Amino acid sequence: MTAPLDSRSTPVEAALERESLLTAISQQVRSRVDLDAALDATVEQVGRGLGALRAFIRIDGDEPASIMAEWNAPGAPAVAALADRLAGTNLAARLGHTIALADIRNAAELDDPSLGGRETLLAAGVLAVLATPIVARDATVGVLTFHRSDAGDWSQGDIDLAEAVAREAAVAIHMARLLEETEHRLAQATALFEAARVVTGELRLELVLKRLVMALARLLHADAADCYLLDTRRDTLRCTAAFKLDPVLVQWEFPADEGLAGEALRRGRSLLSRDYPGLQAPGPHPAYRDFTSYLVAPMLLAGEKQGVVGVATRDQDRVFTRGDADVLEAFAGLASVALRNAAAFEQSARQARIQRAFYRIAAALAAPLSQDETLQAVVEAAKDAVGGVFAAALLPTRMSLRLVGSQTLPDALAEALARAPAGALEDAARDGRVLTAQAVASDERFDAEWKNLVLRSGGKALLAIPLGEAVAGPAGLVVVFFPTERAFGDDDVELARHLAAAAAGALVRSEQFETERSSRALAQHLARISRLLAPELDPSLVLREVAREAPLLLGADVCVVHEILDGELVVVAAEGEGAAAAAGSRAVLRGSPAREVVESQAPVVREAARSDERSADPLLAAGYDAYLSVPLTAPDGGVRGVISVYSRGLRAWRPDEVDALLAVSGSASAALANAQLYQRVALEKERNEAILAAIADGIVATDAQSRVVLWNAEAERITGVPAAEALGRQPSEVLQRELASEGDVPSGDRMISITRGGHDVWLSLTEAVMSDHEGGVAGRVFAFRDISGERLVEQMKSDFVSTVSHELRTPLTSIYGFSATLLRSDLTFDDEERTTFLTYIASESERLTQVLDALLHVARLDSGDLELQLGRTSVGEVVTEVVAGAEAAARNGHRFVVELPDGPVAARADGRKLRQVLDALIDNAVKYSPGGGTVTVAARERTNVVELRVADEGIGIAPAEQPRIFTKFYRGGNPRPDGDRGPGLSLFIARGLVTAMGGRLSVSSVEGEGSSFVVELPAA
Amino acid sequence: MTKVLVVDDEAPIRLLCRVNLEAEGIDVVEAADGVAGVEQARAERPDVILLDVMMPRLDGWGVAEELLRDPATSDIPIVFLTARAEMRHEERALDLGGIDFVTKPFNPVGLAPLVRSVLAKVEQGRGETRRHEKLAELRAQLDS
Repeated sequence: MTAPLDSRSTPVEAALERESLLTAISQQVRSRVDLDAALDATVEQVGRGLGALRAFIRIDGDEPASIMAEWNAPGAPAVAALADRLAGTNLAARLGHTIALADIRNAAELDDPSLGGRETLLAAGVLAVLATPIVARDATVGVLTFHRSDAGDWSQGDIDLAEAVAREAAVAIHMARLLEETEHRLAQATALFEAARVVTGELRLELVLKRLVMALARLLHADAADCYLLDTRRDTLRCTAAFKLDPVLVQWEFPADEGLAGEALRRGRSLLSRDYPGLQAPGPHPAYRDFTSYLVAPMLLAGEKQGVVGVATRDQDRVFTRGDADVLEAFAGLASVALRNAAAFEQSARQARIQRAFYRIAAALAAPLSQDETLQAVVEAAKDAVGGVFAAALLPTRMSLRLVGSQTLPDALAEALARAPAGALEDAARDGRVLTAQAVASDERFDAEWKNLVLRSGGKALLAIPLGEAVAGPAGLVVVFFPTERAFGDDDVELARHLAAAAAGALVRSEQFETERSSRALAQHLARISRLLAPELDPSLVLREVAREAPLLLGADVCVVHEILDGELVVVAAEGEGAAAAAGSRAVLRGSPAREVVESQAPVVREAARSDERSADPLLAAGYDAYLSVPLTAPDGGVRGVISVYSRGLRAWRPDEVDALLAVSGSASAALANAQLYQRVALEKERNEAILAAIADGIVATDAQSRVVLWNAEAERITGVPAAEALGRQPSEVLQRELASEGDVPSGDRMISITRGGHDVWLSLTEAVMSDHEGGVAGRVFAFRDISGERLVEQMKSDFVSTVSHELRTPLTSIYGFSATLLRSDLTFDDEERTTFLTYIASESERLTQVLDALLHVARLDSGDLELQLGRTSVGEVVTEVVAGAEAAARNGHRFVVELPDGPVAARADGRKLRQVLDALIDNAVKYSPGGGTVTVAARERTNVVELRVADEGIGIAPAEQPRIFTKFYRGGNPRPDGDRGPGLSLFIARGLVTAMGGRLSVSSVEGEGSSFVVELPAA
Repeated sequence: MTKVLVVDDEAPIRLLCRVNLEAEGIDVVEAADGVAGVEQARAERPDVILLDVMMPRLDGWGVAEELLRDPATSDIPIVFLTARAEMRHEERALDLGGIDFVTKPFNPVGLAPLVRSVLAKVEQGRGETRRHEKLAELRAQLDS
């Protein structure tokens, strides 16, 4: 606590203390950051030092005066609320120098009531006032005032101290003000810097302006901010950015000469609304109704008006200042820069887009792209180059345009374009000119439906670029749509023309590529079709295959094949949509494509069918437009039919496509000829096989490799080998012997033997050799018959001759030999020898007679010239008689058993012949029972039949031989054990005799056990 | 002394041969069938064999094959006695190594000269030649 200066010291000491206090205060106010606290401390210290009632600093300026620092002695009331009515302070401020009033009650200076009057001071307990102005840079910024409650002069020391403190305070306040100003400017600079950063860092104008107005509103403590751009063409201001304003304002526009904005723009400087209360500010829109104050600055760039920025407040107390106007102007400058940047960016982006578009078209030119791909590239390039939102490519058809490519085209619009584009577009395409529509909605060249469609799809403007004459016929179009209405300048049209030229080049290139590619594809497809048709052996399948493949080959929709049947053209195959309607129909009408081809014998090519053809052809009548018909040639070179392909819509048929269909026709003709030949051959083969199967000879055919290709039923029967087993193998594999003669020349009829079921089978074989065109063996045909039976007969005949020869010559040899011997003159024989010789001559003569008798029997049996004396014959008697004779002749100890019924058994027979039969059977039994045994001869009578049985216990007869023992000259595999060969006729004669008598002779035998012969004769 | 084996199943013919050959000073041994004929040929080693063709058990062809196969008997000249008139049988006889054949009925008086003629040719080493000559002659007749 500082004591009053004057009360404690001498004047010198007081002066030194004042100096010391001043120094401390000086340090205090210059070093303390917090000016308020420093001044508070200062007024207290000085107030105390001067023994004052109170001390305070009042700040004066633009604003109403206010107490900045105040100290009151204990019990003294505060005067802060009376700041502008403190007369002494006001006087000092007005005079601009220090006033020292010893007693206000009699100070005439205070008589002026405008100073606040003495009463206020007296009420605050004041009698003496010391007030000194605080002057900073020649301006009074405040007043330092001391009040005392007692009257009395202020010492010079007091005055000096007060003035010195006031100077210190002035310095401090000035510094603080400077600091505050600096901070404010720094904040503005920072905001500007931030705004500038936004302007330079962001290229989208709308976004830049939006951020600028946001920053502006914050910086100027405004309730809203906006930015309007000037449309010089329409002379309007259009809202581009609005902060804390109704969003509907964006894009709202009003005449550029209205409102505060119009005025600011006109004057080229910022305006405060309070200066122009009569104006509707900043523009005539209800959204601005609530605001109390506006500040608008024009956007100028190199003197050119570009728009306005503005701020507004609803706060009654907030008054925009000149400083705010400076800030706003700075932001307006930034907005102009942003606008210029955006325009520059837009320009460079457009350049880049254009460049990219041309690159794309150039790429399409360079790459072997199909027409579709090229059109797609052109569409994309065009859309990008002119900055459209979606685009479409249209190519001409006979009647109109057709959609062939698109880029992000809305479905509804694509469908409409595919159906029928607007007439204006067709006109542009026909005339090959650029069409611009800056506002489709109000463009009278488009009808309402088209307008609606485009608008619904999000298009507001369009640009149509012709594609030149690149594509055959009238020009195509690329149509680019824009999301906003926009004006098309000369440069847009120029760009469009360049694009069109580039696209035309690309399309020419792609057409060449298409042609090459399709030619190659045609060739490959043709080769495939030829491969497909060549092996086909059914003519109807060949035609169906042609009908299926031809549309695929040519990219057509349907194919119909006509064939001339009984002089009429009949559809024999049809594939594709609507083909069913044509199936089976007859092209009788003159003027039908098929008939024209037949008459001209040449292809008929139509891009579009004539109207007279439509009524003559069911497919043209059904809506197909283009067709290509070629003749189908017959093997003799004439026309046998027609192949036609049809397409919907206009279709130009390239020469290579015509050639391709002609090639298909050629392949089909060849395949048909093959197939029909094959069918004929197959029929012939079937017939031949039927014949071969029916003929009695075995027929075997082999191919060049000697493999069996034919093995008929008779061959199966004769060889015992099934055809399935023989086919594909060589005869030698299945027959274990070769059929073919050696060499190429058949050796005529041959006899060969093969084995069947373990037995030899003899074949009479004829062979034919088939030669190929080089003279080699192409195959052989063998015909053969089983002559085993005939051969057996031959063998038997041969045996007969041999046997007869033997049977006759043997006794003759003896007869002749002994006779010749007896006649030898050089030899003499005794009686015994002569008797022997003569006996042999006699017996051999007898033997010769028997042989001759047997042969005579055989001859009679063969000729049927046998004399029979049929009558009732006692079988018992015959048996008894013959067995008696046999017993007499038996040499090997055979035992004879006769079994006869008690009563007489009589048969109707020739007795002599029956004896001969029985004799032969008993002789046979004896001869084939070399070991003796019992020979049983039995007779019995059954119903109308007399049965006579001769059974032995001899060697028996093999089953296979049993049927053959009754054949002529057969003597069986078992030779007669006694060596008696005999002529092999006895059983043949026996059966012949029995049969002649109306009876039957049979045998049953078990090899090794004996045989049983049974004679059945009619009972008598 | 010349020895002839007569193989024939007919007893009168064997007797006929024996009487007429022995009358000319030729020894005769007999066999009544083919099997016996082979045995006798091996046992007696005759100078000539008169061989019948149609015989039980083993016919003349079988006997000839058997004897020709056996080195001990293969050099014995065989003269077939056959009742068969066809030439193909004679050809077969010669094919089988027979040196000659005689067709029944024959004059038995000529048997001894035939035997001697055969022996003379064999001794002169012309047995095979004669056989081949006969064979060629026969084939020429058959071909014509």
